[in-house]
Amino acid sequence: MIRQSWWKILAVVILVYTILAGMLIPLKPGIAEVTPRALQAGTEVELTVTGYNSYYAKAKNDLRAWLKLKGDLVLKAARIEVLNDRTMKLHFILPQYLPSDSKDDACSLILDSPIDGAIVLPEGIALTQDSVNLLEGKKLWSVDKMDQLNAGPKLTFPYRSVLYESIRNQYFHVPLWFAMIFLFMFSVNFSVRYLRKYDPDADQRTLALNRAGFVFGLLGTVTGAIWAKYTWGAFWSWDVKQNMTAVALLIYSAYFILRGAFQDEEKKARLSAVYNIFAFAALIPLLFVIPRMTDSLHPGNGGNPAFGGEDLDNTMRMVFYPAGIGWTLLGFWVASVAYRVEKLQQRLLDA
Amino acid sequence: MNFFAQIGILLRKELVLELRMGYAISGILLYVLSTVFIVYAAFFQGVNSPMLWVTLFWIIMLFASVNAIVKSFVQENGARQLYYYGLLDPLAVIVSKMIYNISLLFFLSLLTWAAMAFIVGNKVEEFSAFLLALFLGSAGFSILFTFVAAISSKADNNSTLLAILSFPLVIPILMTLIKLSVVATGMLEDTGIGKDIGILVAIDLVLAGLTLVLYPFLWRD
Amino acid sequence: MIWNRLSLVCILTLLFQQMAFAQQASGDFLRSIGHIYVVVAVILIIFFGIVLFLIYLDRKLTKLENQIKENE
Repeated sequence: MIRQSWWKILAVVILVYTILAGMLIPLKPGIAEVTPRALQAGTEVELTVTGYNSYYAKAKNDLRAWLKLKGDLVLKAARIEVLNDRTMKLHFILPQYLPSDSKDDACSLILDSPIDGAIVLPEGIALTQDSVNLLEGKKLWSVDKMDQLNAGPKLTFPYRSVLYESIRNQYFHVPLWFAMIFLFMFSVNFSVRYLRKYDPDADQRTLALNRAGFVFGLLGTVTGAIWAKYTWGAFWSWDVKQNMTAVALLIYSAYFILRGAFQDEEKKARLSAVYNIFAFAALIPLLFVIPRMTDSLHPGNGGNPAFGGEDLDNTMRMVFYPAGIGWTLLGFWVASVAYRVEKLQQRLLDA
Repeated sequence: MNFFAQIGILLRKELVLELRMGYAISGILLYVLSTVFIVYAAFFQGVNSPMLWVTLFWIIMLFASVNAIVKSFVQENGARQLYYYGLLDPLAVIVSKMIYNISLLFFLSLLTWAAMAFIVGNKVEEFSAFLLALFLGSAGFSILFTFVAAISSKADNNSTLLAILSFPLVIPILMTLIKLSVVATGMLEDTGIGKDIGILVAIDLVLAGLTLVLYPFLWRD
Repeated sequence: MIWNRLSLVCILTLLFQQMAFAQQASGDFLRSIGHIYVVVAVILIIFFGIVLFLIYLDRKLTKLENQIKENE
């Protein structure tokens, strides 16, 4: 019993790890809000910074902050006033001129603390000056230096201002697709086997794998819609990947309808095997080729990096790859139960 | 009888049957004309939108194709199937049907274009690109519908099943075609036109290859 | 059997009503605390989706069991 179902135990262990690690590892500290966002050169300004997952009060005396322009020119905060762990006020004395040849520029805000590490708010703050003086500006902005930044907590997930905690959906929404693809791949494999040997068992396996794959695909679409609502603003954004998966689900619904159209078992098995292979071939451009060639909100499309760069750091990989394996194994478990039901029904019909 | 001779004879048979049953093809022509007229009355009075033109063109084409192809296996009743079975190569049957349907649909698409141009007005500026889209589109439609018609002809409720099985499969082809045709109307300056053509050619080839591999399994009954 | 199904429907309706109510009460419930409830909603949907599929299989099995009993 244990020896046969070791992979089911593995699935449970991996999924428990996925849920625990995916939910318990905190997000990296980030900057939730900065006001005001527009500053005037030559004035003394007070920036109110609201942090996320931050510990300003704990690191009260070792906090540092800079405004950073292009070319590593920085201005250090003159005074930092910590209100609590989540809020502080930064005082900057802005020089008269900017190291820029236009009246407007944008700078980023960098915070550094021994507990939270270095945090960057990129290009978030607008600067304006009344008159341009490039040389003087460069001189004024090169007084301060930014050095010895702290590394911050190691075991964290990236902080993204649109995603926030929902970045954890990477371990629950995305692997559903992996599971679906693998289930459909195996079902095609059994369809081919059916057409070679006309073995009814292969047909039952195909049906069970397709059922499980369809359920996972449906769940992937629904969870994706929920996630999209709170990051892109609508349940259905007519994103190319969303459309293509909807089409994929329609294709597999057609597979189930086709099965219902035949009375004769052999005919049903043969024709649905043929359609299954055809449908999977049509699925490949749908899921992999067309989305990559068109603009999409999903990462990995239209020039966005796929699961690389900043969207998936090492800590996330540590959870994401096992999650993919775990959900796929769960998919095969569900499929194997469906298969055994199908098998039993067949045996009853034959008897 | 070798493979190509078989294809030639089957093609001739299709053509003769088509001409003899004149009502089928004239029915489709009437369908195209009346739909274009309805589309004009419903959408285009005082409206000049190439996007709408292209979309409606392909939707008319889609339904005309389904209507044209659904009959291609209906007439093949059980007795005639049995006769073919003893006489012919299954590949010759499907290849001849595919070639015949591609030319029929290409002819039909040219006709729809002419009807649209006559009644609604011609919105196409780059003729070669649009002709290429027409050809790739009719090839994709006919390969897909021919194969699915072969599947659904084995079931009783034929035409409904054809629509259910083939419409989801046709959506990617249709979307790429509409994109390509919009570029051909000169509304969009698109540099990725080669990519779209590549996608269409790839889809057509994959579908054609699979049809050739899988048809022998549908054939035996 | 029918009671099982009814109670499940009741529980689900209650759950969704609760969520809708919470949404009205605090502006936007799912957006609170850094969108964490989006993750919770996703996990719950996956859970209930798989459970519903298991219920479907369970009912099928019950039918088969009854058939086997009749055959004996």
